[in-house]
Amino acid sequence: MADKIIPPEAIPEVGSEVIRVDGQPYLLVNDAMYTFYRRTMGEFSPFFLALRDDKRILGARCRRCGLVRVPPFVTRCPDCQFAPTDLVEVGDVGQLISTPPVTYFANSLFQEQVPFGRGRVLLHGADTALSVNLYTTRGILVPGIFRKGTEVKVVFRRERRGEITDIFCVPAHELTPDQVQRRGLEETELDWERGQEPPLPAATEAAKERFAQVARELTALARELSAHPRARRDIAGWWRTVLVKTTGGTLVMRIADGDLTIEEGSVQAPDFVMVVADPGVLLDALAYRGSLTQAIMTNKLWISKNVEFNTIFKLERMARSLARSRKA
Amino acid sequence: MRRVGIVGAAVTPFKARWYEKTYYELAQMATAAALEDAGLATGDVDGVVYAIYNDIFQRAAIPEHPLQAITGLSNKFGVRVSNGGATGAYAMSVAHAYLAAGRFKTLLVLGVEKATDCFDFQSMSATPEVIKTIGWSGDTFFEQKLGWTASDSYAEVVLAYMDQHPDDLKPEVTARLAALLSQQARDNEFAQRRFDQVTPEEVLNSRIVVYPFKELEICVYSEGAAAVIMAEEQTARAIARNTGQPVIWVTGVGEANEPSYAGKGHKVMHRIYSHHLAAMRAYEMAGIRHPLEAIDVAEVHDAFVQQLQITMAEMGFVPLGRADSLVEDGIVTPGGRLLLNPSGGLLYCGHAVGASNIMSAWSARRELVRRGLRRALVHGTGSTVAQYGVVLILERD
Repeated sequence: MADKIIPPEAIPEVGSEVIRVDGQPYLLVNDAMYTFYRRTMGEFSPFFLALRDDKRILGARCRRCGLVRVPPFVTRCPDCQFAPTDLVEVGDVGQLISTPPVTYFANSLFQEQVPFGRGRVLLHGADTALSVNLYTTRGILVPGIFRKGTEVKVVFRRERRGEITDIFCVPAHELTPDQVQRRGLEETELDWERGQEPPLPAATEAAKERFAQVARELTALARELSAHPRARRDIAGWWRTVLVKTTGGTLVMRIADGDLTIEEGSVQAPDFVMVVADPGVLLDALAYRGSLTQAIMTNKLWISKNVEFNTIFKLERMARSLARSRKA
Repeated sequence: MRRVGIVGAAVTPFKARWYEKTYYELAQMATAAALEDAGLATGDVDGVVYAIYNDIFQRAAIPEHPLQAITGLSNKFGVRVSNGGATGAYAMSVAHAYLAAGRFKTLLVLGVEKATDCFDFQSMSATPEVIKTIGWSGDTFFEQKLGWTASDSYAEVVLAYMDQHPDDLKPEVTARLAALLSQQARDNEFAQRRFDQVTPEEVLNSRIVVYPFKELEICVYSEGAAAVIMAEEQTARAIARNTGQPVIWVTGVGEANEPSYAGKGHKVMHRIYSHHLAAMRAYEMAGIRHPLEAIDVAEVHDAFVQQLQITMAEMGFVPLGRADSLVEDGIVTPGGRLLLNPSGGLLYCGHAVGASNIMSAWSARRELVRRGLRRALVHGTGSTVAQYGVVLILERD
């Protein structure tokens, strides 16, 4: 089936529900604003067509001051009383003008892509910076891979649509010199590191004891979280079975529409796998003494599917809900 | 140009979710309370400036049109301002201009926003859809499809500042400032997180949402409304005689919008010139030379606590590169020279976007009156890469 402008899985059913606040009923209605476009790219058409068809990046060079704006967001230079500009090709290698942010909690259209970076690259021959997505070919994106001045290479998607997402950048140092030189490098030519489940050390008696102790605490904490109205709301309408592998043993964490349960043991075909040498990392996060996101960023915790950052956020929100109510 | 003052103000509670009310009633609640505060009837007001940021939040194009009748101002002047996060501050700037020009005697400035009707049915939570809605504010041709969000956009500026000043914005200092704001929210009965005091350790341990921002260093989306009544000098004095409350004069107003593209001749990513220029223009109008000496209370738009610190430096309270001195030198800690965000700021009172800066003005006025202080600063920021800046100087009569 052809791709849809709106992903079918994002479209809610027609429906409504009643919620009670202070005993009074209030109606909640599933709804959407939607408008479809057949939108012209107008004067930007040459830029997007060059990306799509020629794997080239164009800028707009002012005939008077010579400034090269990339992307070519003007056809006349506003600094030179609207002198005309000419489209010129710029390089596909450049430097980041500043350290870029890394998004871990994305908007609803980008949840499957976290973590991702977005930065501004000053391509060779350009005077203004192009916003680009930033990826690493070597595992999960963490802060520090990209910094101010990092040299990056533009990589083209195999399937291009004439959109800014036809390109992204990777650090030049992750590529071979030949790849850095080559014009129109495509994503399929990169050596992407596959997500490998990290091995755990052999279980010692101490690790087993630690596991048993933490498992007991986790089980009790999960019970407490499940009994807390606000924490329950954080996982309302959510179902996941998670296999948690630790040095001292394995746990099964089940999320079921408000209920969180944790028990020792294993399970076939979980929704995803967590690998965490010390189960205390999970305990600390659910007790709001630490953060699962930070644990992933620092390689203390591994998850088998990046899209499950969704579930990670929900677990962290539950922890905060319980911690907040203890203060109120 | 006529003098212009604030003679009434009100806010509704800021809440994560108002199941009980639509934006119609929130707008009416704030209007009625502000009029009552000013001792006025609807017939005494010449018109309204609406501060509503986002059509999609309200699920309506021209979301303000029903409010003309709902606020009791039918057949009068009404104009909407929409300037991203700086919507509320810009709305007060617009009202000031109309009143200073003598077009009207009294205007209502009404901010309202209903953000969390937005809902993501995939994650079964509101926030990703709220962020997506704001994401439509990014450059439509070159940025939206890259996953642009308000957070990553402001993070760009903060990280560029940190490139320039690696010893500033230390995590332990930003955490202390966030914790301080949480303490101050306790005194704001309308704050969304009034009873959510956090420790610096909790801030440090909270999860990274968009690097370098942690969850407890980011403003929270709110639903709510805020209103101020502004009047030209003679009218303002008459109203004040009636209410017994001092006029809070708007003695300085400044605005600036930077370019949103970065590079040579465009946005300097490690600066927030918009905030700098807006402040300098407002100071010039108000005759202020040394802000830290002249200003007693500041309600500064804290979308992110690191941005709040940079903004304070851009506005001249501390040097650029030494924003941590706000906390380390005790400038804004209890007993310090400056009362900063006594409302709890947008971090702890909440960010009901169009209403937020008006809430800030409400708080600044309240502190001037109840603490007997002389001069306040109200600030708003908005759009991509902190592009917009607005500063107002308020002075007690």
